[in-house]
Amino acid sequence: MIKLERASLRYGAVLGLSPTSFELPDGGGIVGLLGPNGAGKSTLLQLLSGLLPPSGGSVEIFGQTPFRNPEVLARIGLVPEGDRLPVGLKGRGWLRMMGRLSGLDGAPLETAMAQALETVGMSERADLPFQRMSKGMRQRMRLAQALLHAPELLILDEPFNGLDPEARLTLMGLLRRLADGGTRVIVSSHILSEVAQLTDRILLLFRGRLLAEGGISEIRQLLDRHPVELRLSGEARALARWAVEQPELVALELEESAAVLSIRNPRDFLPRLQSEAARGGLPITGLDPLDLNLEAVFQYLTKDHA
Amino acid sequence: MPIFAPSLPPKPDLSSGRPAAMVIARFDLQRVLRQKMGRFFGFLFTMMLLWRLGYVYIYYLKDQNAVIGKMMEAASPVLAQGAAWHADMLGGWLTYLLWFLVALIGGGLVARDTLYRVRPLMYAHPVKPSDYWTAKICLAALVPFAILAPFALLPWLLSVGLTGLHGVMWASTPLRLLPVALIIALLMGAVASGASSLASTPRAGVGWVLGVVLGLEAMGGMLYGLLGNGSWMAISPMALAAEWPKLLCGVTDGVFGWAPALIATASHLVLWTLILKARTRPSEAVL
Repeated sequence: MIKLERASLRYGAVLGLSPTSFELPDGGGIVGLLGPNGAGKSTLLQLLSGLLPPSGGSVEIFGQTPFRNPEVLARIGLVPEGDRLPVGLKGRGWLRMMGRLSGLDGAPLETAMAQALETVGMSERADLPFQRMSKGMRQRMRLAQALLHAPELLILDEPFNGLDPEARLTLMGLLRRLADGGTRVIVSSHILSEVAQLTDRILLLFRGRLLAEGGISEIRQLLDRHPVELRLSGEARALARWAVEQPELVALELEESAAVLSIRNPRDFLPRLQSEAARGGLPITGLDPLDLNLEAVFQYLTKDHA
Repeated sequence: MPIFAPSLPPKPDLSSGRPAAMVIARFDLQRVLRQKMGRFFGFLFTMMLLWRLGYVYIYYLKDQNAVIGKMMEAASPVLAQGAAWHADMLGGWLTYLLWFLVALIGGGLVARDTLYRVRPLMYAHPVKPSDYWTAKICLAALVPFAILAPFALLPWLLSVGLTGLHGVMWASTPLRLLPVALIIALLMGAVASGASSLASTPRAGVGWVLGVVLGLEAMGGMLYGLLGNGSWMAISPMALAAEWPKLLCGVTDGVFGWAPALIATASHLVLWTLILKARTRPSEAVL
Protein backbone atom coordinates (compact mmCIF):
# COMPACT_ATOMS: atom_id res chain seq x y z
CA MET A 1 0.00 0.00 0.00
CA ILE A 2 2.73 2.48 1.00
CA LYS A 3 6.28 2.23 -0.27
CA LEU A 4 9.02 4.78 0.30
CA GLU A 5 12.41 4.23 -1.30
CA ARG A 6 15.04 6.66 -0.12
CA ALA A 7 12.42 9.40 -0.21
CA SER A 8 13.76 12.72 1.01
CA LEU A 9 12.47 16.26 1.14
CA ARG A 10 14.34 19.55 1.17
CA TYR A 11 12.93 22.98 1.99
CA GLY A 12 15.55 25.00 0.15
CA ALA A 13 18.78 24.45 2.06
CA VAL A 14 17.03 22.73 4.98
CA LEU A 15 16.68 18.97 4.90
CA GLY A 16 13.17 18.20 6.14
CA LEU A 17 13.45 14.45 5.72
CA SER A 18 16.59 12.39 5.12
CA PRO A 19 16.40 9.53 2.63
CA THR A 20 13.83 7.24 4.20
CA SER A 21 12.67 3.79 3.17
CA PHE A 22 9.85 1.71 4.55
CA GLU A 23 6.92 -0.29 3.35
CA LEU A 24 3.44 -0.79 4.77
CA PRO A 25 1.36 -3.64 3.39
CA ASP A 26 -2.25 -3.55 2.23
CA GLY A 27 -5.04 -3.91 4.74
CA GLY A 28 -6.23 -2.13 7.85
CA GLY A 29 -4.37 -1.35 11.02
CA ILE A 30 -2.87 1.60 12.81
CA VAL A 31 0.70 2.81 12.41
CA GLY A 32 2.07 5.38 14.84
CA LEU A 33 4.49 7.97 13.54
CA LEU A 34 6.46 8.98 16.58
CA GLY A 35 8.99 11.73 17.05
CA PRO A 36 9.62 14.95 18.96
CA ASN A 37 8.63 18.31 17.50
CA GLY A 38 10.67 19.03 14.39
CA ALA A 39 11.46 15.35 13.78
CA GLY A 40 10.01 15.40 10.27
CA LYS A 41 6.64 13.79 10.97
CA SER A 42 4.60 16.46 9.20
CA THR A 43 7.07 16.42 6.31
CA LEU A 44 6.63 12.69 5.91
CA LEU A 45 2.85 13.09 6.07
CA GLN A 46 3.02 15.81 3.40
CA LEU A 47 4.78 13.35 1.13
CA LEU A 48 2.27 10.60 1.89
CA SER A 49 -0.75 12.84 1.37
CA GLY A 50 0.53 14.08 -1.97
CA LEU A 51 0.96 17.71 -0.94
CA LEU A 52 4.61 17.70 -1.93
CA PRO A 53 6.77 15.66 -4.28
CA PRO A 54 9.90 14.08 -2.79
CA SER A 55 13.17 15.94 -3.49
CA GLY A 56 14.82 12.55 -3.99
CA GLY A 57 13.82 8.91 -4.05
CA SER A 58 10.24 7.80 -4.56
CA VAL A 59 6.92 7.62 -2.76
CA GLU A 60 4.30 5.17 -3.91
CA ILE A 61 0.83 4.74 -2.51
CA PHE A 62 -1.47 2.13 -4.01
CA GLY A 63 1.31 1.60 -6.55
CA GLN A 64 1.26 5.21 -7.79
CA THR A 65 2.89 8.53 -6.98
CA PRO A 66 0.49 10.51 -4.78
CA PHE A 67 1.66 14.03 -5.75
CA ARG A 68 -1.13 15.72 -7.76
CA ASN A 69 -2.57 12.32 -8.58
CA PRO A 70 -6.38 12.45 -8.28
CA GLU A 71 -6.64 8.66 -8.42
CA VAL A 72 -4.53 8.28 -5.30
CA LEU A 73 -5.88 11.37 -3.51
CA ALA A 74 -9.43 10.07 -3.90
CA ARG A 75 -8.40 7.08 -1.77
CA ILE A 76 -6.67 9.12 0.98
CA GLY A 77 -8.21 11.03 3.87
CA LEU A 78 -6.11 13.69 5.62
CA VAL A 79 -6.65 15.35 8.99
CA PRO A 80 -3.95 18.03 9.27
CA GLU A 81 -2.60 19.32 12.56
CA GLY A 82 -4.46 22.05 14.45
CA ASP A 83 -8.09 22.77 15.06
CA ARG A 84 -8.57 25.92 13.02
CA LEU A 85 -11.75 25.94 11.02
CA PRO A 86 -13.29 28.95 9.29
CA VAL A 87 -15.37 30.95 11.79
CA GLY A 88 -18.87 31.88 10.74
CA LEU A 89 -19.38 28.59 8.93
CA LYS A 90 -21.59 25.76 10.01
CA GLY A 91 -20.15 22.29 10.17
CA ARG A 92 -22.59 20.70 7.75
CA GLY A 93 -22.08 23.30 5.00
CA TRP A 94 -18.32 23.00 5.22
CA LEU A 95 -18.54 19.23 5.21
CA ARG A 96 -20.75 19.34 2.11
CA MET A 97 -18.14 21.41 0.27
CA MET A 98 -15.38 18.99 1.24
CA GLY A 99 -17.50 16.08 0.03
CA ARG A 100 -18.02 17.81 -3.31
CA LEU A 101 -14.28 18.28 -3.63
CA SER A 102 -13.97 14.50 -3.31
CA GLY A 103 -16.33 14.04 -6.23
CA LEU A 104 -19.54 13.38 -4.32
CA ASP A 105 -22.84 15.10 -5.00
CA GLY A 106 -26.57 14.70 -4.59
CA ALA A 107 -27.89 11.66 -2.75
CA PRO A 108 -24.50 9.87 -2.46
CA LEU A 109 -23.08 13.00 -0.80
CA GLU A 110 -25.94 13.25 1.69
CA THR A 111 -25.60 9.54 2.51
CA ALA A 112 -21.82 9.84 2.94
CA MET A 113 -22.27 12.89 5.18
CA ALA A 114 -24.81 11.13 7.35
CA GLN A 115 -22.50 8.11 7.68
CA ALA A 116 -19.40 10.17 8.46
CA LEU A 117 -21.22 12.31 11.02
CA GLU A 118 -22.67 9.18 12.60
CA THR A 119 -19.21 7.59 12.74
CA VAL A 120 -17.68 10.57 14.54
CA GLY A 121 -20.74 11.10 16.73
CA MET A 122 -21.60 14.56 15.39
CA SER A 123 -24.96 13.94 13.72
CA GLU A 124 -26.84 16.10 16.21
CA ARG A 125 -24.32 18.93 16.37
CA ALA A 126 -23.18 19.34 12.77
CA ASP A 127 -25.34 22.44 12.30
CA LEU A 128 -23.48 24.40 14.96
CA PRO A 129 -21.11 27.11 13.74
CA PHE A 130 -17.47 26.16 14.21
CA GLN A 131 -16.84 28.89 16.78
CA ARG A 132 -19.46 27.29 19.05
CA MET A 133 -17.89 23.84 18.84
CA SER A 134 -15.42 22.52 21.42
CA LYS A 135 -11.94 21.46 20.36
CA GLY A 136 -12.99 17.83 20.45
CA MET A 137 -16.03 18.53 18.28
CA ARG A 138 -13.95 20.44 15.75
CA GLN A 139 -11.44 17.60 15.63
CA ARG A 140 -14.26 15.16 14.98
CA MET A 141 -15.58 17.38 12.17
CA ARG A 142 -12.11 17.40 10.62
CA LEU A 143 -12.09 13.64 10.87
CA ALA A 144 -15.57 13.48 9.32
CA GLN A 145 -14.39 15.40 6.24
CA ALA A 146 -11.57 12.89 5.81
CA LEU A 147 -14.00 9.97 6.07
CA LEU A 148 -16.62 11.24 3.61
CA HIS A 149 -15.19 9.45 0.60
CA ALA A 150 -14.47 6.23 2.57
CA PRO A 151 -10.66 6.45 2.20
CA GLU A 152 -8.51 3.34 2.33
CA LEU A 153 -5.68 5.34 3.90
CA LEU A 154 -6.39 7.82 6.70
CA ILE A 155 -3.59 10.18 7.75
CA LEU A 156 -3.86 12.14 10.99
CA ASP A 157 -1.26 14.68 12.08
CA GLU A 158 -1.12 15.11 15.87
CA PRO A 159 -4.86 14.46 16.25
CA PHE A 160 -4.78 14.32 20.06
CA ASN A 161 -3.26 17.77 20.62
CA GLY A 162 -5.43 19.88 22.86
CA LEU A 163 -8.06 17.20 23.43
CA ASP A 164 -9.30 16.43 26.93
CA PRO A 165 -8.88 12.83 28.19
CA GLU A 166 -12.45 11.86 27.34
CA ALA A 167 -12.21 13.21 23.80
CA ARG A 168 -8.87 11.41 23.43
CA LEU A 169 -10.39 8.08 24.40
CA THR A 170 -13.36 8.65 22.09
CA LEU A 171 -11.05 9.44 19.18
CA MET A 172 -8.84 6.44 19.91
CA GLY A 173 -11.87 4.16 19.94
CA LEU A 174 -13.01 5.66 16.67
CA LEU A 175 -9.64 5.11 15.01
CA ARG A 176 -9.53 1.52 16.23
CA ARG A 177 -12.99 0.88 14.76
CA LEU A 178 -11.92 2.35 11.43
CA ALA A 179 -8.76 0.25 11.42
CA ASP A 180 -10.78 -2.87 12.24
CA GLY A 181 -13.05 -2.02 9.30
CA GLY A 182 -10.17 -2.22 6.85
CA THR A 183 -8.83 1.34 6.83
CA ARG A 184 -5.08 1.83 7.14
CA VAL A 185 -4.60 4.62 9.72
CA ILE A 186 -1.38 6.59 10.17
CA VAL A 187 -1.27 8.72 13.31
CA SER A 188 1.57 11.06 14.14
CA SER A 189 2.35 12.06 17.70
CA HIS A 190 5.23 13.18 19.87
CA ILE A 191 3.91 11.33 22.91
CA LEU A 192 5.04 7.71 23.21
CA SER A 193 2.30 6.65 25.63
CA GLU A 194 -0.36 8.07 23.33
CA VAL A 195 0.82 6.00 20.39
CA ALA A 196 1.43 2.95 22.57
CA GLN A 197 -2.24 3.04 23.62
CA LEU A 198 -3.32 3.04 20.02
CA THR A 199 -1.05 0.69 18.16
CA ASP A 200 1.86 -1.66 18.48
CA ARG A 201 3.42 -0.69 15.19
CA ILE A 202 5.44 2.49 15.12
CA LEU A 203 7.87 4.45 12.99
CA LEU A 204 10.36 6.48 15.02
CA LEU A 205 11.57 9.73 13.48
CA PHE A 206 14.20 12.07 14.82
CA ARG A 207 15.74 15.12 13.17
CA GLY A 208 14.43 14.14 9.78
CA ARG A 209 15.64 10.54 10.00
CA LEU A 210 13.75 7.30 10.41
CA LEU A 211 15.49 5.75 13.41
CA ALA A 212 13.48 2.64 14.00
CA GLU A 213 10.51 0.76 12.70
CA GLY A 214 8.69 -2.03 14.45
CA GLY A 215 6.46 -2.99 17.36
CA ILE A 216 6.37 -1.08 20.61
CA SER A 217 8.02 -4.02 22.43
CA GLU A 218 10.91 -4.09 19.93
CA ILE A 219 11.42 -0.34 20.32
CA ARG A 220 11.25 -0.70 24.10
CA GLN A 221 13.89 -3.42 24.02
CA LEU A 222 16.03 -1.08 22.00
CA LEU A 223 15.50 1.62 24.60
CA ASP A 224 16.28 -0.77 27.47
CA ARG A 225 19.86 -1.00 26.28
CA HIS A 226 20.35 2.64 27.19
CA PRO A 227 20.77 3.95 30.74
CA VAL A 228 18.02 6.07 32.26
CA GLU A 229 18.66 8.64 35.00
CA LEU A 230 16.60 8.58 38.20
CA ARG A 231 16.87 10.82 41.26
CA LEU A 232 15.98 9.05 44.49
CA SER A 233 15.31 11.55 47.28
CA GLY A 234 15.81 10.53 50.92
CA GLU A 235 18.84 9.36 52.87
CA ALA A 236 21.41 9.51 50.12
CA ARG A 237 24.01 7.16 51.60
CA ALA A 238 21.51 4.41 52.49
CA LEU A 239 19.96 4.65 49.03
CA ALA A 240 23.40 4.46 47.42
CA ARG A 241 24.28 1.37 49.49
CA TRP A 242 21.18 -0.42 48.17
CA ALA A 243 21.70 0.80 44.61
CA VAL A 244 25.26 -0.49 44.23
CA GLU A 245 23.98 -4.03 44.78
CA GLN A 246 21.59 -3.79 41.82
CA PRO A 247 22.80 -5.33 38.53
CA GLU A 248 21.18 -2.55 36.39
CA LEU A 249 23.26 0.25 37.96
CA VAL A 250 25.60 1.95 35.51
CA ALA A 251 26.58 5.11 37.40
CA LEU A 252 25.90 6.72 40.76
CA GLU A 253 26.13 10.32 41.93
CA LEU A 254 25.47 11.49 45.46
CA GLU A 255 23.76 14.77 46.23
CA GLU A 256 23.00 16.29 49.64
CA SER A 257 19.70 14.48 50.14
CA ALA A 258 19.41 12.40 47.00
CA ALA A 259 21.14 9.76 44.94
CA VAL A 260 21.17 10.11 41.16
CA LEU A 261 21.28 6.68 39.55
CA SER A 262 21.97 5.80 35.98
CA ILE A 263 20.34 2.44 35.28
CA ARG A 264 19.61 0.04 32.44
CA ASN A 265 16.39 -1.95 32.02
CA PRO A 266 14.17 0.34 34.11
CA ARG A 267 11.31 -2.09 33.62
CA ASP A 268 13.17 -4.65 35.78
CA PHE A 269 14.65 -2.14 38.17
CA LEU A 270 11.60 -0.02 39.00
CA PRO A 271 9.29 -2.83 40.31
CA ARG A 272 12.13 -4.03 42.57
CA LEU A 273 12.66 -0.50 43.88
CA GLN A 274 8.93 -0.12 44.45
CA SER A 275 8.60 -3.37 46.43
CA GLU A 276 11.72 -2.59 48.48
CA ALA A 277 10.33 0.84 49.37
CA ALA A 278 6.93 -0.67 50.21
CA ARG A 279 8.63 -3.18 52.50
CA GLY A 280 10.21 -0.26 54.37
CA GLY A 281 13.71 -1.33 53.47
CA LEU A 282 14.56 1.96 51.72
CA PRO A 283 14.60 5.47 53.25
CA ILE A 284 13.12 7.01 50.11
CA THR A 285 10.89 10.11 49.99
CA GLY A 286 10.71 10.76 46.24
CA LEU A 287 11.50 9.38 42.81
CA ASP A 288 12.06 11.62 39.79
CA PRO A 289 12.90 10.26 36.36
CA LEU A 290 15.31 12.80 34.93
CA ASP A 291 15.40 11.79 31.31
CA LEU A 292 12.52 9.49 30.58
CA ASN A 293 11.01 12.04 28.22
CA LEU A 294 10.85 11.25 24.55
CA GLU A 295 13.52 13.77 23.62
CA ALA A 296 16.04 11.90 25.79
CA VAL A 297 14.99 8.57 24.34
CA PHE A 298 15.54 9.88 20.84
CA GLN A 299 18.91 11.25 21.80
CA TYR A 300 19.95 7.80 23.00
CA LEU A 301 18.78 6.28 19.78
CA THR A 302 20.57 8.92 17.76
CA LYS A 303 23.83 8.12 19.53
CA ASP A 304 23.16 4.45 18.95
CA HIS A 305 22.74 5.01 15.25
CA ALA A 306 25.64 7.43 14.92
CA MET B 1 -28.28 -5.85 -5.26
CA PRO B 2 -24.57 -6.18 -4.55
CA ILE B 3 -23.48 -7.99 -1.42
CA PHE B 4 -20.82 -6.38 0.77
CA ALA B 5 -18.83 -7.77 3.66
CA PRO B 6 -20.40 -6.61 6.93
CA SER B 7 -17.37 -4.53 7.94
CA LEU B 8 -16.97 -2.81 4.60
CA PRO B 9 -19.71 -0.35 3.66
CA PRO B 10 -20.27 0.27 -0.05
CA LYS B 11 -17.81 2.74 -1.58
CA PRO B 12 -19.51 6.05 -2.32
CA ASP B 13 -19.88 7.09 -5.92
CA LEU B 14 -17.10 9.61 -6.47
CA SER B 15 -17.94 10.27 -10.10
CA SER B 16 -21.08 12.35 -9.58
CA GLY B 17 -19.32 15.53 -8.48
CA ARG B 18 -18.82 18.83 -10.27
CA PRO B 19 -15.47 20.34 -11.28
CA ALA B 20 -13.45 21.29 -8.19
CA ALA B 21 -13.07 24.93 -9.31
CA MET B 22 -16.84 25.27 -9.51
CA VAL B 23 -17.29 23.72 -6.06
CA ILE B 24 -14.81 26.15 -4.48
CA ALA B 25 -16.24 29.19 -6.30
CA ARG B 26 -19.78 28.24 -5.35
CA PHE B 27 -18.84 27.77 -1.71
CA ASP B 28 -17.12 31.17 -1.62
CA LEU B 29 -20.04 32.82 -3.40
CA GLN B 30 -22.42 31.51 -0.76
CA ARG B 31 -20.13 32.91 1.89
CA VAL B 32 -20.01 36.29 0.13
CA LEU B 33 -23.80 36.40 -0.20
CA ARG B 34 -24.14 35.81 3.53
CA GLN B 35 -22.03 38.85 4.34
CA LYS B 36 -24.04 41.79 5.66
CA MET B 37 -22.30 44.44 3.57
CA GLY B 38 -24.43 43.28 0.60
CA ARG B 39 -27.38 45.44 1.71
CA PHE B 40 -25.31 48.61 1.94
CA PHE B 41 -23.62 48.17 -1.41
CA GLY B 42 -26.81 46.81 -2.95
CA PHE B 43 -28.60 50.03 -2.02
CA LEU B 44 -25.82 52.23 -3.43
CA PHE B 45 -25.54 50.35 -6.71
CA THR B 46 -29.32 50.23 -7.12
CA MET B 47 -29.52 54.00 -6.66
CA MET B 48 -26.76 54.49 -9.23
CA LEU B 49 -28.54 52.23 -11.68
CA LEU B 50 -31.85 54.02 -11.15
CA TRP B 51 -30.09 57.33 -11.73
CA ARG B 52 -28.78 56.11 -15.08
CA LEU B 53 -32.16 54.66 -16.06
CA GLY B 54 -33.73 57.98 -15.13
CA TYR B 55 -31.31 59.67 -17.50
CA VAL B 56 -32.47 57.50 -20.38
CA TYR B 57 -36.12 58.11 -19.52
CA ILE B 58 -35.63 61.87 -19.36
CA TYR B 59 -34.13 61.84 -22.86
CA TYR B 60 -37.11 59.85 -24.02
CA LEU B 61 -39.48 62.42 -22.49
CA LYS B 62 -37.56 65.17 -24.22
CA ASP B 63 -38.70 63.82 -27.57
CA GLN B 64 -42.25 63.31 -26.40
CA ASN B 65 -42.90 66.51 -24.48
CA ALA B 66 -42.23 69.96 -25.91
CA VAL B 67 -41.81 71.66 -22.53
CA ILE B 68 -39.31 69.10 -21.31
CA GLY B 69 -37.64 69.23 -24.73
CA LYS B 70 -37.01 72.96 -24.34
CA MET B 71 -35.65 72.44 -20.84
CA MET B 72 -33.33 69.73 -22.17
CA GLU B 73 -32.16 71.96 -24.99
CA ALA B 74 -31.12 74.51 -22.40
CA ALA B 75 -29.34 71.87 -20.36
CA SER B 76 -27.80 70.08 -23.33
CA PRO B 77 -24.20 71.20 -22.64
CA VAL B 78 -24.49 69.43 -19.29
CA LEU B 79 -26.48 66.43 -20.48
CA ALA B 80 -24.66 65.60 -23.69
CA GLN B 81 -25.39 62.09 -24.96
CA GLY B 82 -22.28 61.33 -26.92
CA ALA B 83 -19.47 58.81 -26.47
CA ALA B 84 -18.56 60.21 -23.04
CA TRP B 85 -22.16 59.87 -21.88
CA HIS B 86 -22.23 56.24 -22.96
CA ALA B 87 -18.84 55.55 -21.38
CA ASP B 88 -20.04 57.08 -18.15
CA MET B 89 -22.56 54.25 -17.80
CA LEU B 90 -19.64 52.18 -16.46
CA GLY B 91 -17.50 55.00 -15.18
CA GLY B 92 -17.28 57.61 -12.46
CA TRP B 93 -18.20 56.71 -8.91
CA LEU B 94 -19.46 53.32 -9.96
CA THR B 95 -15.97 51.87 -10.52
CA TYR B 96 -14.48 53.58 -7.45
CA LEU B 97 -17.22 52.09 -5.28
CA LEU B 98 -16.78 48.77 -7.00
CA TRP B 99 -13.05 48.72 -6.23
CA PHE B 100 -13.92 49.24 -2.58
CA LEU B 101 -16.44 46.39 -2.65
CA VAL B 102 -14.01 44.08 -4.46
CA ALA B 103 -11.33 44.89 -1.87
CA LEU B 104 -13.72 43.99 0.96
CA ILE B 105 -14.83 40.75 -0.68
CA GLY B 106 -11.72 39.71 -2.57
CA GLY B 107 -9.28 40.69 0.15
CA GLY B 108 -10.39 37.77 2.27
CA LEU B 109 -10.89 35.21 -0.48
CA VAL B 110 -7.43 33.64 -0.31
CA ALA B 111 -6.25 35.12 3.00
CA ARG B 112 -9.08 33.43 4.89
CA ASP B 113 -8.00 30.04 3.58
CA THR B 114 -4.43 30.84 4.61
CA LEU B 115 -5.52 31.83 8.12
CA TYR B 116 -7.64 28.72 8.65
CA ARG B 117 -5.26 26.43 6.77
CA VAL B 118 -7.94 25.24 4.41
CA ARG B 119 -5.65 24.69 1.44
CA PRO B 120 -3.85 21.59 2.79
CA LEU B 121 -7.27 20.02 3.24
CA MET B 122 -8.34 20.98 -0.25
CA TYR B 123 -5.14 19.77 -1.89
CA ALA B 124 -5.44 16.47 -0.04
CA HIS B 125 -8.59 16.00 -2.12
CA PRO B 126 -8.48 15.60 -5.90
CA VAL B 127 -8.07 19.38 -6.27
CA LYS B 128 -5.37 20.84 -8.49
CA PRO B 129 -3.78 24.20 -7.63
CA SER B 130 -5.15 25.53 -10.93
CA ASP B 131 -8.67 24.61 -9.76
CA TYR B 132 -8.08 26.66 -6.65
CA TRP B 133 -6.75 29.83 -8.22
CA THR B 134 -9.18 29.68 -11.14
CA ALA B 135 -12.04 29.53 -8.66
CA LYS B 136 -10.73 32.48 -6.69
CA ILE B 137 -10.14 34.73 -9.72
CA CYS B 138 -13.46 33.77 -11.29
CA LEU B 139 -15.39 34.53 -8.14
CA ALA B 140 -13.56 37.80 -7.52
CA ALA B 141 -14.39 38.75 -11.14
CA LEU B 142 -17.94 37.44 -11.05
CA VAL B 143 -19.06 39.87 -8.36
CA PRO B 144 -18.04 43.06 -10.22
CA PHE B 145 -19.30 41.64 -13.52
CA ALA B 146 -22.68 40.84 -11.98
CA ILE B 147 -22.89 44.44 -10.79
CA LEU B 148 -21.59 46.03 -14.01
CA ALA B 149 -23.67 43.96 -16.41
CA PRO B 150 -27.02 45.59 -15.46
CA PHE B 151 -25.39 49.01 -15.92
CA ALA B 152 -24.31 47.94 -19.40
CA LEU B 153 -27.62 46.37 -20.38
CA LEU B 154 -30.61 47.84 -18.54
CA PRO B 155 -30.31 51.47 -19.73
CA TRP B 156 -29.91 50.18 -23.28
CA LEU B 157 -32.91 47.85 -22.92
CA LEU B 158 -35.00 50.72 -21.56
CA SER B 159 -33.87 52.90 -24.44
CA VAL B 160 -34.72 50.20 -27.00
CA GLY B 161 -38.07 49.62 -25.31
CA LEU B 162 -38.99 53.29 -25.34
CA THR B 163 -37.56 54.52 -28.62
CA GLY B 164 -36.31 51.55 -30.63
CA LEU B 165 -32.77 50.89 -31.85
CA HIS B 166 -32.27 54.48 -33.03
CA GLY B 167 -33.23 56.11 -29.77
CA VAL B 168 -31.42 57.61 -26.83
CA MET B 169 -28.64 55.01 -26.71
CA TRP B 170 -26.57 53.60 -29.53
CA ALA B 171 -27.66 50.28 -30.92
CA SER B 172 -24.13 48.98 -30.37
CA THR B 173 -23.99 49.92 -26.68
CA PRO B 174 -24.01 46.35 -25.28
CA LEU B 175 -21.30 45.32 -27.75
CA ARG B 176 -19.14 48.06 -26.32
CA LEU B 177 -20.07 48.01 -22.64
CA LEU B 178 -20.28 44.26 -22.00
CA PRO B 179 -16.65 43.64 -23.05
CA VAL B 180 -15.69 46.63 -20.90
CA ALA B 181 -17.52 45.12 -17.95
CA LEU B 182 -15.72 41.83 -18.53
CA ILE B 183 -12.28 43.46 -18.76
CA ILE B 184 -12.86 45.55 -15.62
CA ALA B 185 -14.21 42.52 -13.75
CA LEU B 186 -11.24 40.34 -14.70
CA LEU B 187 -8.83 43.10 -13.76
CA MET B 188 -10.50 43.56 -10.40
CA GLY B 189 -10.67 39.80 -9.81
CA ALA B 190 -7.00 39.21 -10.61
CA VAL B 191 -5.74 42.15 -8.54
CA ALA B 192 -7.98 41.35 -5.56
CA SER B 193 -7.24 37.62 -5.40
CA GLY B 194 -3.53 38.11 -6.11
CA ALA B 195 -3.16 40.75 -3.41
CA SER B 196 -5.22 38.63 -1.02
CA SER B 197 -2.76 35.77 -1.45
CA LEU B 198 -0.02 38.01 -0.04
CA ALA B 199 -1.90 38.39 3.25
CA SER B 200 -2.34 35.96 6.10
CA THR B 201 -5.62 37.33 7.47
CA PRO B 202 -8.74 38.62 5.70
CA ARG B 203 -8.28 42.11 7.16
CA ALA B 204 -4.71 42.23 5.97
CA GLY B 205 -6.02 41.05 2.59
CA VAL B 206 -8.38 44.02 2.36
CA GLY B 207 -5.46 46.25 3.28
CA TRP B 208 -3.30 44.67 0.60
CA VAL B 209 -5.92 45.15 -2.12
CA LEU B 210 -6.61 48.76 -1.18
CA GLY B 211 -2.89 49.40 -0.76
CA VAL B 212 -2.07 47.99 -4.19
CA VAL B 213 -4.91 49.83 -5.94
CA LEU B 214 -4.44 53.19 -4.23
CA GLY B 215 -0.65 52.90 -4.16
CA LEU B 216 -0.42 52.27 -7.90
CA GLU B 217 -2.92 55.08 -8.55
CA ALA B 218 -0.73 57.46 -6.56
CA MET B 219 2.43 56.19 -8.26
CA GLY B 220 0.86 56.52 -11.71
CA GLY B 221 -0.29 60.05 -10.88
CA MET B 222 3.19 61.03 -9.71
CA LEU B 223 4.89 59.60 -12.79
CA TYR B 224 2.30 61.32 -15.02
CA GLY B 225 2.93 64.59 -13.22
CA LEU B 226 6.71 64.25 -13.32
CA LEU B 227 7.14 62.94 -16.85
CA GLY B 228 4.11 64.56 -18.43
CA ASN B 229 3.10 61.35 -20.19
CA GLY B 230 -0.41 60.06 -19.52
CA SER B 231 0.60 56.52 -20.43
CA TRP B 232 2.20 56.14 -17.00
CA MET B 233 -1.27 56.26 -15.48
CA ALA B 234 -1.85 52.86 -17.07
CA ILE B 235 0.12 51.21 -14.25
CA SER B 236 -2.86 51.96 -12.03
CA PRO B 237 -5.63 49.33 -12.15
CA MET B 238 -8.04 52.04 -11.05
CA ALA B 239 -7.08 54.25 -13.98
CA LEU B 240 -7.36 51.28 -16.34
CA ALA B 241 -10.88 50.50 -15.11
CA ALA B 242 -11.82 54.14 -15.66
CA GLU B 243 -10.20 54.27 -19.11
CA TRP B 244 -11.60 51.12 -20.75
CA PRO B 245 -15.20 52.43 -21.11
CA LYS B 246 -13.82 55.55 -22.78
CA LEU B 247 -11.67 53.55 -25.18
CA LEU B 248 -14.43 51.20 -26.27
CA CYS B 249 -17.02 53.96 -26.54
CA GLY B 250 -14.66 56.08 -28.66
CA VAL B 251 -14.04 58.98 -26.28
CA THR B 252 -11.18 60.91 -27.77
CA ASP B 253 -9.87 62.83 -24.77
CA GLY B 254 -8.81 59.86 -22.62
CA VAL B 255 -5.71 59.96 -20.42
CA PHE B 256 -3.96 57.20 -22.40
CA GLY B 257 -4.55 55.22 -25.55
CA TRP B 258 -5.18 51.66 -26.63
CA ALA B 259 -1.59 50.40 -26.53
CA PRO B 260 -0.81 51.37 -22.89
CA ALA B 261 -4.26 50.11 -21.84
CA LEU B 262 -3.80 46.73 -23.53
CA ILE B 263 -0.23 46.22 -22.34
CA ALA B 264 -0.93 47.32 -18.77
CA THR B 265 -4.14 45.29 -18.47
CA ALA B 266 -2.46 42.15 -19.80
CA SER B 267 0.51 42.76 -17.48
CA HIS B 268 -1.74 43.12 -14.44
CA LEU B 269 -3.69 39.99 -15.32
CA VAL B 270 -0.52 37.93 -15.79
CA LEU B 271 1.36 39.38 -12.80
CA TRP B 272 -1.42 38.93 -10.23
CA THR B 273 -2.32 35.50 -11.55
CA LEU B 274 1.32 34.44 -11.24
CA ILE B 275 1.50 35.82 -7.70
CA LEU B 276 -1.69 33.99 -6.78
CA LYS B 277 -0.42 30.82 -8.39
CA ALA B 278 2.93 31.02 -6.59
CA ARG B 279 1.38 31.78 -3.21
CA THR B 280 -1.15 28.96 -3.35
CA ARG B 281 1.09 26.09 -4.43
CA PRO B 282 0.77 22.91 -2.37
CA SER B 283 4.25 23.59 -0.95
CA GLU B 284 2.87 26.83 0.49
CA ALA B 285 0.05 24.90 2.11
CA VAL B 286 2.20 23.48 4.89
CA LEU B 287 0.56 21.13 7.34
